[in-house]
Amino acid sequence: MAICTGCSLLCEDIEAAEKDGALTHVKNLCRKGHGHFQAAFTERTVPMIDGEQVDLDRAITKAAEILKSAKSPLLYGWSNSTLEAQAVGIELAEKLGATIDDTSSSCQGILMERILSGKLPTCTLDDVRNYADTSIFWGSDPSSSHPRHLSRFSYYPRGEKRQKSYEEERTCIAVDVRKSATANLCPNYYFQVAPSGDAQFMEAILAVLEGKIPRVGDKKKMIGLGSILKKTEWGVIFAGLGMVYSLQEKMDLFEKLLARLNEITTFKVVPMVGHYNMRGFNELLLEKTGFINRVSFKDGKPAHGPEHSVVAAAKTCDAALIIGSDPFSALPFGTARALAKVPLIAIDPRRSLTTDGAKVVIPSALSGLEAGGTGVRMDGVKIKFEPIMKSDLPTDEQILTRIMEAI
Amino acid sequence: MVGAMEIYMLLPKTNCKKCGLDTCMAFAVGLLGREKKIDECTPLIEEKKYEAKLKKLREVMAPLENASETGLIIHPEKCFGCGNCVVACPVNVAAEPTRCGVGLGPQSDKVILKVEDGIVVCGNLEECRRFGPNKTLCNACTATCPSKAIEFV
Amino acid sequence: MATEVEVTVVTMRDIFQDEAGRKSRFSDEYRDQSAQIILDKQDLAKLGAKDGQKLRVLVKNDVGSVVVAAKTSEDNPHPGLAFMYNSPWSNQLVSDAVSESSIPGFKSIKAIVSAAEEKVTQISEIQARIKG
Repeated sequence: MAICTGCSLLCEDIEAAEKDGALTHVKNLCRKGHGHFQAAFTERTVPMIDGEQVDLDRAITKAAEILKSAKSPLLYGWSNSTLEAQAVGIELAEKLGATIDDTSSSCQGILMERILSGKLPTCTLDDVRNYADTSIFWGSDPSSSHPRHLSRFSYYPRGEKRQKSYEEERTCIAVDVRKSATANLCPNYYFQVAPSGDAQFMEAILAVLEGKIPRVGDKKKMIGLGSILKKTEWGVIFAGLGMVYSLQEKMDLFEKLLARLNEITTFKVVPMVGHYNMRGFNELLLEKTGFINRVSFKDGKPAHGPEHSVVAAAKTCDAALIIGSDPFSALPFGTARALAKVPLIAIDPRRSLTTDGAKVVIPSALSGLEAGGTGVRMDGVKIKFEPIMKSDLPTDEQILTRIMEAI
Repeated sequence: MVGAMEIYMLLPKTNCKKCGLDTCMAFAVGLLGREKKIDECTPLIEEKKYEAKLKKLREVMAPLENASETGLIIHPEKCFGCGNCVVACPVNVAAEPTRCGVGLGPQSDKVILKVEDGIVVCGNLEECRRFGPNKTLCNACTATCPSKAIEFV
Repeated sequence: MATEVEVTVVTMRDIFQDEAGRKSRFSDEYRDQSAQIILDKQDLAKLGAKDGQKLRVLVKNDVGSVVVAAKTSEDNPHPGLAFMYNSPWSNQLVSDAVSESSIPGFKSIKAIVSAAEEKVTQISEIQARIKG
């Protein structure tokens, strides 16, 4: 069995075998995972300096030179690399006195912080399958982002205490600004919120739980939601970017809601992490520095703060190493523009807007397909994987180790 | 999907009984249930005045031609490969309780629905609850599809 | 002057667009799947789109602008609210001036929409703008 690294579900039941340099009749991969693995056969990168193809050794030497001569380098990406590569990356940041940040910084970071520090109660997805009778998709649309989420864990499978599953025992609720593909699967329990209206919606739930009249939403429907929550034996909220971006500084309100729900019954939170190993990086950096992201080693001791977030550091760094990420595509225009002004090193299996704009490009093996290692699923479960295909390409871990040795 | 009324409007509406049924409406229902074929309506085929109707009828019936014995149609271009149907299908669950039953993809060939190359495919349709004379109108696979990639006709 | 409609753009994900992007960020398929804005029916009518007619629109704000294809929303009416798929196109409009949490406003982009004659913004144009 192979592991899919297409998203943070890290599905473990994939049957795939290489035949003549291609993957065909792959079993159990969803459309997203299938696209992820097929991507290995198009738009691959080659070692480059200033747009000219070079050999790998020269690209690595050049990368080391750039980082060594930089006063405040930024190391960014990480959520698509193995734990093993991330560990070398953190060591490299320490050695360089660099700033290190990952995609969680403009994504699930503020939620992950609360999960990893224990401020929000959490559980594994296997717990969800075995015990959950209420799953709330809040600002998340797993049908589109984590296609097998509902079939493997949160709605359709049978579990230890949920033998009658979705037919009789499980209720799904979608809270979103739009009727998403997931909301279509539970149309009677779809609650539409206004953009940036998640805090208000939380207040409304807290009100109905106290037997008060809610200020927003259809009153009857909100009271109905209140009674579903009260009757829940074991509930879980899958918090997505919709909720995180909308709450921002008001994350305390979410903590308050969970505390209140847990006075009544059991309620957990699982963060809907996108990339397959964002959580792995957050856990690793927390263990080494006490912070999950946005860390600077400039003064030796790890310092943390918004000034070390990728959005801020892009403007203050004088060189950057980007690994397994495409900030030119995924971050605000201004951040991409700022990064484009400094010498960039891009380590990526595939061509992207960022590799196109990089001074040095280093091709790497695609984890899961061409490279083995360990990833951490969205719920914190560690999953080891072996490569499906043979490849001569170096892994992220090997590349980073070689750069470090050359510094 | 096309309905019996829409099909009826494209028939001669003469209730001539040449197809073996009493009314054109009954024939429309027969077509929809795939118990009858268009060619059995001989006036529609033979008489020139029905030419436009026949052409339109063949067009609306075309998607049904691809339907399986149980009326199952898969639209691969809409499928997410999410496996909701694989896990919800009662026949799949009975065939592989320790896999489909708990959310994993099947290993054997005994199942009806499985995901291959990112898209759902079907087999063993004689096992489907909609198959044969004693069929029940099970809709586990269509009701759990997020993108209407599966339907029954 | 052409009619302008003020909108808040919320970005979202789509499995087909994601799949196209994984295969190639430089393909026509990825451009066609990404360079879209989903507008409320009434908002689209204000811009002059007749039923079934394809319309290209300019979406602009203080950060930047893109020309994308306009699509009608199939959801309940939501005037003033628009949706785009998370992509280099939507990120042309996202400000890097951030609040205390330092998270860019990916899902609350204020912008102005008007009908456009120009072609849809190409990925090469976006790359050129980033390069400056």
